[in-house]
Parts: sequence; C-alpha cells; structure tokens
Amino acid sequence: MFERSIGAAMAVLQKALGITLIAAVLLNFANVVGRYGFGYSILWADEVEMFILVLVTFVGAAIVGWQRQHLAMDVLRNRFPPPMAALVTVIEAATLVAIAVLVCIHSFSYAQQMLMLGRTSDNAGIPMWIPHSFVAIGFTLLAFVAIWQAVARLLGRHSNTGRVEVRNDAATSAERD
Amino acid sequence: MTFALAILPLLLLLIGFPIFLVLLSSVTVALVFYMNVPLAVLHQNLFGSVNSFSLLSIPFFIFAGELMGRGSVAQRLVDVVQSGMGATRGSLGVTTVGTSAIFGAISGVSSACVATIGRIMYPAMRRNGYPENFSAGLVTATGAIDIIIPPSVPLIIYGAAASESVPRLYAAGFLPGLLLAVMLSAYVMWVARRQGFGSSPPFSLKAFSKSLVRGVWALGMPFIILGGIYGGVFSPTEAAAVACVYAALVTMFVFRELGPRDILQAAETTALFSAQILLIVACASVFAWLLTVNQVPAAIVAWIDALRVPSWLLLIVINLILLLIGCFVDPISAILLMTPLLVPVVKAAGIDTVHFGIIVTVNLAIGLFHPPFGMNIFVAQSVLGLKLSSIYRGIIPFLVIYLIALVLITFIPQISLMGPRLLMGS
Repeated sequence: MFERSIGAAMAVLQKALGITLIAAVLLNFANVVGRYGFGYSILWADEVEMFILVLVTFVGAAIVGWQRQHLAMDVLRNRFPPPMAALVTVIEAATLVAIAVLVCIHSFSYAQQMLMLGRTSDNAGIPMWIPHSFVAIGFTLLAFVAIWQAVARLLGRHSNTGRVEVRNDAATSAERD
Repeated sequence: MTFALAILPLLLLLIGFPIFLVLLSSVTVALVFYMNVPLAVLHQNLFGSVNSFSLLSIPFFIFAGELMGRGSVAQRLVDVVQSGMGATRGSLGVTTVGTSAIFGAISGVSSACVATIGRIMYPAMRRNGYPENFSAGLVTATGAIDIIIPPSVPLIIYGAAASESVPRLYAAGFLPGLLLAVMLSAYVMWVARRQGFGSSPPFSLKAFSKSLVRGVWALGMPFIILGGIYGGVFSPTEAAAVACVYAALVTMFVFRELGPRDILQAAETTALFSAQILLIVACASVFAWLLTVNQVPAAIVAWIDALRVPSWLLLIVINLILLLIGCFVDPISAILLMTPLLVPVVKAAGIDTVHFGIIVTVNLAIGLFHPPFGMNIFVAQSVLGLKLSSIYRGIIPFLVIYLIALVLITFIPQISLMGPRLLMGS
C-alpha cells in the first residue's frame, strides 16, 4: 500500500519533470523565434532553462533510483551468490544514505545562506535558494528511496521495480516503443 | 589518498555500485579523511557542473530523437535509402548501414538505432536470404555509428569534460562516421556478391521519388540541426530545441502519429534518461576537481613524459585501455572517468584534443557491441529475439572493420580534423 503510494508520487514527479522539460524547450525555441523574428531576446530564458536542468538532474535521479536504473557496471554483481548480492545491496544503500545525508546537510545549508543573503539570479531575478535547494531535495529523495529499497530487500519484499541492467536507458526506452 | 582516488573507486565499480555513487563515495572519503577542505565544495561542484547552458543540449537532442523514433520515421528513412540503391547485391545490408547513419544524424542514441532499424531490417534481410549470423552481426554493429555521427551525446559529454567546442567535435565526427559507413557497406556488398545473396529489384525513379516525398520531413531534421549550427544560425543547444519543436510538429501534424500524451511520455522518458546521465556528469565533475587539486593529471603527464613514450605508442596504449574499458562501462561514464586523466596527457604529447575526442568515441562505440557485454548485443537479443551465439559469431567481421577504421582514424588525424577545417575554417 505504502509502496504503491510512493510509486504514484514518483509517477507524478516524473510527469512534472516531463512538463518542465517541455517548458524549457519551448522557452529556448521562443528565444530563437524572438531573436530572428522580432529582434528581441528573452534575457532570462537561459537562466530559467539551466535551473530546469538542475531540477531534472537531481529530482530525476531519485526517480531513476526508484526504478533501479542508475548506470552501473554490474557484470560481476549479476554473478554473485544471493547472500553476497544482498550484502552488497545493503552496503550500497548504507553508503548512499550516508553520502546523501552529507550532501543534503551541505546543500540545505548553502541554500539557506542564499536565502539569508537574498541572492537572486542575474537576469531572471529568481531567488538562488530555489535552484540550490534542488540538489538537497534530490539527495533527500535518493536517501529515502535507498532506505526503502534496502528495508524491502531485508524483509524479503522486492519493490515493484526490479533492478534492470541498463547501461544506457535508451535501450529500455527503445524497447518500450 | 591513493586509496580514495584509485583503490576505492575501482573496488566499488567492480562490485556494481552505481557509477555516480562510486564517484561520490571516493570524493567523500577523500574530503573527510585526507583533505582539509570545507564539504560545501561537494554542493558547489554538483550544482555548478549541471548549471550549464551547453549541457542543456543533451536532454534536448535526446527528446528530439525520442519523438522522431516513436513513429514511422525509421521506416520512411529505410524506404528512401532502399529505393535509391537499385539492383545492387547486398542492397538491404547497405540500406541498414545507410539508414543507421542517417538515424544517427537524428537521434545520436545507439541502442535506440539498433532497436528501431533492427526491427525493420533484420526480418527483411532474413526474408531476402541473408545468413542469420551475418544479419544479426550487421544490425548489432551498425548502431554504433550513431554515437560518432553528430549530434552525438557522448561528444557533448566529451566536449564538457575536455573543455572542447561541441560544434568542432560535431564537425570532426562527420568523416569518421562516413568512413565507417563506407567500409561497412563495401564489406556487405563484397560478402553478398561472394556468397550470392541479397538481390534486389532495379532502380525505379518513380519508387524513389515516392519514398523521397514520404521521407523528406524525416530527412529535414539533420539539415535543421547541422545547417543551423554550421550556418551560424543557432548554438548546438538552440539547434536541439528547434529540432524538438520540428520533431513534435512533424510527428503530430504531418505524420499524424503522435498526440500530446505521447509527447509528454517522450518528455518523461527523456527527463529520466537525462537525469541518469547528468547525475554522473555532476559527480564526475567533483571527482575531476579532486584529481586536479591533488595534481593527479599533472603527475601522470610528468610520469609519461619521463618514460619518453612516442605519441604513436601512447595512442596505441590509450586505444587498448579505452577498448578494454568500453567493453564493461557505458560510453558516457567511460568518457567522464577517463577524460580528466587522458586529456592532459595527450595535450602534452601534442595531440589535438578534437582528434582525440573522436578516437575516444570510436573506441567506446566499439565497446557498445564488443562481445561479451556490449550493450547493443543485449538490445539486439531482447528486441529482435536473436540468439546470442548468432550475434557473437556474426559480429566478428564487423568488429575487425571497426578496428581497422579505428587505426585509420587514430593515425590519420586529417580524417577527423578536415571537417572542422572545412566547416569552421580552423
């Protein structure tokens, strides 16, 4: 039940990232049309697009983690006996959680500094704590996903998304087509 | 420090940790246990590396390829190339190569090419009497051209990692990609003639014109991207965004194959694929920073300099290392792991970094279909339902052709550098 709710939340996030990506494309295209068609450039467009890229990268990374599709060289791991594979999964989750917590602490603190200093981006005037907090949000979600998946594994309940050997996700996207 | 920079990453890589975590773990261990640097650098590097306008072209190009790959674009391209071939022996095989090359100028994602073109061409070749191993090997191997011919995602990544111009790299990728296509086509025609398979109907102007009309919208995409960049109209990122809008309009309103829901689905897939790549880019940039502040590239350059290795021998050694890495690691991760170490070395040896970018990409393209673990082998196996033994046997002659091309590309820099000279005057 809880797992299904997380899955649904991830699906919503995925949709949101898709929409923001389309927005970035349209903004970039509008800038090109504006420059050649009307001699007008949207000065803030590049900044907004780059912040969208930061959002897509770090929040998207959590969804990729949920789907167990982060790129890995798992040639050897696929040949580990089950107890060893389980041990490596737990070590991996523990490492990820420890590092994610560390990154979160420093990213939140950095975003907080941006908020206190009132820093805004040069052209769009976007408060800089917003894009900086995307890193922290992404790693918080990644840590959460890692904990959930490790617990599910230890309890013998495999999560709804099996680990897929994906050295390049286009393979799977092509398969889905 | 050797433990954090070399032993730990190697160990974690071997036990199958995600590559971003391998890099982040090594950096964290180095920062916490060996260096006296505020940990805020972690955040600064992670954020700063992705907050980049040139990297925006990665999701944009992937999105454009996703849109164009979802409908009948591949079939239209196949029809154009096939109808233009006429009664050449092995024409279906040559069509596979030609269509893959054109598809590469649209998508730049190798596995998507193997899946999309393979689904059309493999059954057609088998029906036309092509041997099973030969067809399986051809379909699996030709997709690798995609990451050499622009727009190529690995070349953008190399550009970012080596601080090299993406338009120059794209211009450099043309001729090597074309060389490979010509060599593969020549081999296909030679085998077809020798073994007496693969006959086809004679050229018909009517059929060619008809398929050209059907395929003209698909063929328009490379012209927009490359014409826009080299005509000085767009930056690569803008060309990618224009290509996305073009692909969406063509697939929605001209081909009438995709609806708004499909566009959103393609955007979602793109977002996740981009996140997968860019997270590694972000973590690799922290790792590269760590290597630089610890003067690792400088130490390697000094060491190689002391060995007085001639540049041809250096290139052979680097090729062997890259071929080996390419067999196990995907091209993007391999570029991000190796570029910070290798570029200072090749620069010191007087090798052009654009030429080197193409050498790296060709090596890693070979890794995409190199037995036993080349990714395209598994794509062909799962998507086309091919036997692994057929693919492994069929791939060997194509692997030899790629290796010959790699030697030519490595030791004749003009093959890579003529493009930038002609297109950009430098």
